[in-house]
Amino acid sequence: MARTGFCDSKPLLDLHKKVDERRAPLRTWANACGPIDRRQPIADESRMATGKVEPEHRWERRLSMQTSEGIIMGFHEDSRTHTADGCVDEPVLLYPHGLQGLHSLQALVPSLLRHEVEMALEKLNLIWDRTFAWDMFLDMMRTQTWNSLPNTDLPRHFTDATRAVLVDWLIQVHEMMHFQEETLYLAIHLLNRSLRKIQVTTANLQLLGMVCLFLAAKKEECLLPEVSGLCYLMDHTYTKHQLLRMERKVLCGLKFDLSFTSPLHFLLLVASVAHCSAKVVWMARYLLELSLLEGQCVVFQPVQLAGAALCLSRQVLQEPPTPEGEAAWCLAYSIHVGSETVLLRIMQILASAAARAHSRETCATFIKFSGLETMHVSGHPGLKNASSLLGICT
Amino acid sequence: MAHATSIQYEPVAEIGGGAYGTVYKARDTESGQFVALKSVRVQTDQNGLPISTVREVALLKRMEQFDHPNVVRLMDVCATTRSDQETKVTLVFEHVDQDLKTYLEKTPSPGLSPERIKDLMRQLLCGLAFLHSNRVMHRDLKPENILVTSQGQVKLADFGLAKIHSCHMALTPVVVTLWYRPPEVLLQSSYATPVDIWSTGCIFAEMFRRKPLFCGESEVDQLGKIFEVIGLPPEEEWPTDVTLSRTNFPPLMPRPIADFVPEINEQGAQLLMKMLTFDPLKRISALNALEHSYFQDEETLTQKKS
Ligand SMILES: Nc1ncnc2c1ncn2[C@@H]1O[C@H](COP(=O)(O)OP(=O)(O)O)[C@@H](O)[C@H]1O
Ligand SMILES: [Mg+2]
Repeated sequence: MARTGFCDSKPLLDLHKKVDERRAPLRTWANACGPIDRRQPIADESRMATGKVEPEHRWERRLSMQTSEGIIMGFHEDSRTHTADGCVDEPVLLYPHGLQGLHSLQALVPSLLRHEVEMALEKLNLIWDRTFAWDMFLDMMRTQTWNSLPNTDLPRHFTDATRAVLVDWLIQVHEMMHFQEETLYLAIHLLNRSLRKIQVTTANLQLLGMVCLFLAAKKEECLLPEVSGLCYLMDHTYTKHQLLRMERKVLCGLKFDLSFTSPLHFLLLVASVAHCSAKVVWMARYLLELSLLEGQCVVFQPVQLAGAALCLSRQVLQEPPTPEGEAAWCLAYSIHVGSETVLLRIMQILASAAARAHSRETCATFIKFSGLETMHVSGHPGLKNASSLLGICT
Repeated sequence: MAHATSIQYEPVAEIGGGAYGTVYKARDTESGQFVALKSVRVQTDQNGLPISTVREVALLKRMEQFDHPNVVRLMDVCATTRSDQETKVTLVFEHVDQDLKTYLEKTPSPGLSPERIKDLMRQLLCGLAFLHSNRVMHRDLKPENILVTSQGQVKLADFGLAKIHSCHMALTPVVVTLWYRPPEVLLQSSYATPVDIWSTGCIFAEMFRRKPLFCGESEVDQLGKIFEVIGLPPEEEWPTDVTLSRTNFPPLMPRPIADFVPEINEQGAQLLMKMLTFDPLKRISALNALEHSYFQDEETLTQKKS
């Protein structure tokens, strides 16, 4: 029968070996933020609330979206209200759409897209019942709009740079634990929300990060690490008791809401519909993971981040186009949400992050994607001047 | 941070003792509304809040965002520390007057009208279709876990065993109270959303009968009772990955469902049989059940009336 007992614990046997082997930052995190112990101001409640739709309207909205043909259009509207943050909604054509002007073909897109999405979801093993595949996709599209934060503000005394160091450290711990990739994305999402929801001293930031990873693992993983192992990884700076207290604090602060639609699912889904090559997918995964380190990226929706990572990956790799490949890409591209401006902006952020990745202190992701198993994507020469591909200089 | 559950919610009465703890009716002193409090005591030993609690509550919170009319509303979640070793997690739900079990018991003879049953079934299936399209299976549908408001609105409750499906998640073998358990679970084969449809079928029959359809005393006995009604399934439908052999059961022929559910009409009987289908892959889905002629009938009837 299937495996039972999610609570089975995996002792962190060989952790210390790996800890010392590579990457110094893992243990130096505590130093990076200094011993200052000042209280963080709590973000006010109303900010978090703005990303949500009034409860009475949500259900109706869902129904109308399911019945109408203009599924993608519906999401366009949503995305505008959420990423208003200073960008003009003026479409900039990055790619020839291929579908424009061909009205008969355009009319075909919803059913064609639906078919492809259903197949992709099945292939990715994300569904158990084909009947509900399209509903599920619509659900993913809708819920993901709640996953972006209204602004990039961080509590005082906590800069984007400190955040990046913390995220980089979590990426290393995550890799060491052999967790699923979804777990990492969820953990960082929980971290982003917790930072705005609960009061945490600078000295406890590392603890907060670890607890977010631990909670994400509880939601996603079959095997859990021992709490004592987690404390060991933090050099016993905190006791087990402190960790468990922080867990409760985070759960209460987040009101137990751990739901998240991972950008990775969108990336794999779109890539599958677009029949992208393995290399394009690895490159996009690399770029997507870099987005976790960028504080500016928290305002974007998962589907936008995934779309931008794929677009940039294709641009960087410049694989010779085939007619089938272009057609599949056009179809997949219609999943993209939000304006071209938003897409371009994310691509710029990712391009400049990728160009600097090798020389930064926070280079766990760069190293992770430099190996043979990830097709050496992070070392691709095209990334060095990816920004210029986008026609901008940074 | 500490949510003062005991201050904001004033207990009024004990509603039901469940598997995990007692459910209380309480008054929200801020709004004056009645709520139902379901507390779960969790031993926070080595690993903090247990995975099952984290997942259940996360799932309920997720469902909450949809505000579906046929799913009970979760209004709040509070965690309070009782001691170093114990945390109390309290789920605050809207209070609903009764569960379907009580509702059926309170109904005077000769029982519910066919229209009432149809309406309850439609709502039940709507709630279920919603869960299933959101990757959630309930896994413990039975009259005690279905709430009915005094206006007759159905609300699915008790997601204690519900699971959100994700690709790498293992399934626990023990689900669903015996009498509402489908053959694939009784046989310990793999299962998915059709589990809930089987249970719904059992409940459908029970609404007419006002007593459960299959009251087995053990897994094997339960299967025997099922085959007395639907007949022994053909060899090729018997799952291959199970230990219990088909030869343990007498070769029974299916019997007309009207023998067991006398008041059901023809369309209803047809739908019921599609729900009580042995092979989970051939069992009707919640969405398709809602489109069954059993339901369409009423609409045309009411249209004619008005
Ligand atoms: N929101 C509610 N309003 C009124 N009664 C409820 C509510 N929730 C549960 N109950 C009653 O309490 C009983 C037990 O609750 P339930 O959630 O099923 O817990 P358990 O997992 O212990 O079975 C239910 O059968 C029902 O009668
Ligand atoms: Mg119950």
